[in-house]
Amino acid sequence: MHEWALLIFSICVQTAIGGMFMLWLYQRNISKSGDETTFTILKTPLIIIAVLSLIGLGASFWHLGAPSNAFNTIRNIGSSWMSREIVVTGLFIAAACITAGLAILQKKINPILLLVTAIIGFVDIYCMASIYSNSLISGWNSINTFTSFYGTALVLGAVLIASFTVPALRAKNMDDNAKTLLKLSFFTALFGIAIQLLGVALFPAAMTDVNIMAATAATSSLEPYQGTIAIRWVIEVIGIVLLGYMALSPVKKTTITVAFVALIVIGFAEGLSRYVFYVLGS
Amino acid sequence: MVQMGFYIDVAKCIGCKTCTIACKDKNDLEVGRNFRRVYDFEEGSFPKPSIYHLSISCNHCKDPKCVKNCPTTAIHKRAEDGVVVIDHDKCVGCKYCEWNCPYGAPQFSEELGKMTKCDTCLDLREKGEDPVCVSSCIMRAIEFGPIDELRAKYGTINEVKGMPSASITQPNIVIHM
Repeated sequence: MHEWALLIFSICVQTAIGGMFMLWLYQRNISKSGDETTFTILKTPLIIIAVLSLIGLGASFWHLGAPSNAFNTIRNIGSSWMSREIVVTGLFIAAACITAGLAILQKKINPILLLVTAIIGFVDIYCMASIYSNSLISGWNSINTFTSFYGTALVLGAVLIASFTVPALRAKNMDDNAKTLLKLSFFTALFGIAIQLLGVALFPAAMTDVNIMAATAATSSLEPYQGTIAIRWVIEVIGIVLLGYMALSPVKKTTITVAFVALIVIGFAEGLSRYVFYVLGS
Repeated sequence: MVQMGFYIDVAKCIGCKTCTIACKDKNDLEVGRNFRRVYDFEEGSFPKPSIYHLSISCNHCKDPKCVKNCPTTAIHKRAEDGVVVIDHDKCVGCKYCEWNCPYGAPQFSEELGKMTKCDTCLDLREKGEDPVCVSSCIMRAIEFGPIDELRAKYGTINEVKGMPSASITQPNIVIHM
């Protein structure tokens, strides 16, 4: 596997997209406490999202052999999904940075900007997945590519925003809000896992395609990675269980440590999943 | 436009890979970068084993997926002869064409940071010569010319066992088994 740049790019940008959507959901719950409180609580995750999207941008340049020609990549919007994806990703990153920048300047979170940015992001994930599903690589022309990408956004976005808002909510003694929002994150993450599983269930149909001379079918490429795939699901489940424990346990106080452990564990699991995805193309 | 293409006589080819080496030599290609490659197919077992070799470079397809999907429009079909070439002023080295070519034609140059490929030896052709793979083949198993003429002479077979479906890009190649 030598697509580290794409792995970092896709994970970072998709997490930022899912996170932006979660922020919009979170602010609907918190906004009752007033603009100032909402800003204090959501400022850190919003800045993290903007930073993640910029890290993704940097990684995408690292993938290019001739980055100085980067602006040429939007010349073929008419027929290339890659051109389309680059335009929409650019829009998302710009919108994310504008949303974060304006929030800092105005000391106020703009919910409409959160929603619009998240919608641009969801369109972007469709474009990202289309790049792969329109290629000839065995295993990529599958619904699994779409469910995997959207799933990553929802699962990682949900756990990211949960772990970075719980401390602020705790500090303000808003434990009831924390519980409600943790539940929201937990169910969103579960939904993300559910759509990923749907894709996994339908994946085998695409695994035997070979449309490139002397290429191997996905079935053979993935054979040495059975262990990696198993580990990914085991730790993903552990992460989701941790998130579920925080959300559903009767204990009123939520522990910040558990939230961050869940974030790291799920982040690693999604990274492993994406690693296996790129194995197909290398 | 006169569409150019290759004719490959698999029945004559002995798999010596002179075409690959001549191409590497002419284009100064380092280890791992090959505009033309020879694929060996072995099948069956005693008493009926069989082996054949297939020399493949870019097939300058009628419907090239590399051209359709290139984000920069760097990879394009020449109007005059349908040859697919890469404009290095535009190429960004994203390697997306590599994921879109059924024949492995686009090859990434680490040195340039850009994609490179068979251009049918345009410089030699301007001098009235054949592409170097054609002139170097010791079995005379490769021909190059207007695809209509090659089809009239040798038929229209453009995919054989071991090749991806010709329906993907409609390659301008004629093969004789």
